[in-house]
Amino acid sequence: MTLVLTRLDLRLRRRILVGTAVGAAAYLLVVVAAYPAFKDDTTLSEMLQSNSAAAAAFGINGSITSPAGWLNANMFANFGPLLALMLTIGYGANSIAGQAGDGLLGLTAAQPVTRAALLQQKTLALAVTALVVPVISFAVCLIGPQFDLTPDWTRLAAVTVSTALLAFDFGAVAMLVGALTGSKGAALGVASGLAAAAYLVSSLAPIIGVVHRLRWGSPFYWAVGDDQLTSGLTWADLLVLVVIAAILTAATLPSFRRLDIP
Amino acid sequence: MSTPPISLDRLTKAFGSRRAVEDVSLTVPEGKVFGFLGPNGAGKSTTIRCLLGLYRPTSGTARLLGRDPATGSAAFRREVGYLPGELHLPDRLNGADILARFGRIRGLRDTAYRDSLVDRFGADVTRPLGILSKGNKQKLGLVLAFMARPRLLVLDEPTSGLDPLLQDEFDTLLKETVADGRTVLLSSHDLNEVQRVADRVAIIRAGRVVVDDTIESLRARVPHTMEAAFDHDVDTSCLADVPGVTVTATAPRTVRLGWSGPVGPLLSAVAALGPEDVVARPVDLDELFHDYYRDSGGDAA
Repeated sequence: MTLVLTRLDLRLRRRILVGTAVGAAAYLLVVVAAYPAFKDDTTLSEMLQSNSAAAAAFGINGSITSPAGWLNANMFANFGPLLALMLTIGYGANSIAGQAGDGLLGLTAAQPVTRAALLQQKTLALAVTALVVPVISFAVCLIGPQFDLTPDWTRLAAVTVSTALLAFDFGAVAMLVGALTGSKGAALGVASGLAAAAYLVSSLAPIIGVVHRLRWGSPFYWAVGDDQLTSGLTWADLLVLVVIAAILTAATLPSFRRLDIP
Repeated sequence: MSTPPISLDRLTKAFGSRRAVEDVSLTVPEGKVFGFLGPNGAGKSTTIRCLLGLYRPTSGTARLLGRDPATGSAAFRREVGYLPGELHLPDRLNGADILARFGRIRGLRDTAYRDSLVDRFGADVTRPLGILSKGNKQKLGLVLAFMARPRLLVLDEPTSGLDPLLQDEFDTLLKETVADGRTVLLSSHDLNEVQRVADRVAIIRAGRVVVDDTIESLRARVPHTMEAAFDHDVDTSCLADVPGVTVTATAPRTVRLGWSGPVGPLLSAVAALGPEDVVARPVDLDELFHDYYRDSGGDAA
């Protein structure tokens, strides 16, 4: 029964996965191709550096015209993670609660597969889903040198991993809430609400003192909010994101075992 | 004696304060078709979901092939085929894709029997499920349930959406299945379907089992009906004194009555009144069934 349920779930999400990947790639391609027009624009860079609120609105700090700053401001600190989260929260809510509601889970859970194995396969599908936007983004950046855009590839790879983990974490929240409540709406609502709050905390932390103290609680801070594309991902960043993923996944199993599946 | 394929002991499932099934005890013997009857909302699907480990019982126990379905290994489920009451398959996939994927989950290697079922039911396996009719989806559901030749089949309203010819094919398949020594739990709200194929039947109403008996002994229990017509006015009050007889309607020249037990004393009593015509109707389980159904009020899921 090798991963047949992982493959089934990914097949059922194929359109949205491919569509989002193509959309993200096309957008990022334009961003990368536009870099030569902005890289020497010192006024833009100075304006954002002198106006930390405007910078925070983009979820960036530091120079916007450096390769890392440009990618951060246009993709990796904001739009990229949000697209990745859209996919994972959508799948997380659908994988248990959504499929329970539409009757498919009742049929699969009655097959010769334990709930633990079922959850394992869905968690793997979530991991694959979480990788889609970050990996396609990394791939598009590989053409950056054609447009004078040469980020630090190791840091870009690290942020690819941290963004995927961030997306996995919020998808896992949706999965957990779905397993606890059996409600797709609750799963979507709670995970999206937490993600929005976490994003705000991380992006406003540099300019609002009170929020600054809360940034530790935001997974965005550990993934992209501490300017990881410029300064690099630390082991602590990675550890926090992995531990969150592990706790959420572990907490989902007992809830999923208790869930009544119609 | 071997473990029965299905046994439920005082099974209760509550959703909040509402009890969908209450104190349901049943034993389904091996190699039989067991009819599980009840009006819509009586608790049939809830009982089945508890049995399959999809719902956790509030109290009581369910045993599927001797195992607690909610815990431990799932390997024994290879021996169980399930058709849900509301079959939902992914709209974008076609039947062949679905059958292949579920075949892999079940470790199905020999697909000859599966393919023969596809042919017998004329299941459409090429078009996406989203554009198939309910009946065509149901055919695929039947193939999914039967394809691995499981020891036990749990079928929730299996013939809904099937045309009469396919219902006959389904009846034949059930007969072949039990002839093979395998067991079928057949949930339905249609008595005719159940009395055609089942050996034993349980009737559930408002979450409780109200009858659990063989079809044969239910027939014996149901009153036969007789109507007698006369060319003169008669006093039929003497008929009510015959043991086992209930007079259900009477007019000066006709009488309608129900009886159970031996017919001899009744015939003698009617003959003595000099009837012009006598019509006796065969046992009609429907009447019994409707008696059990009445007042159900639909107060359970």
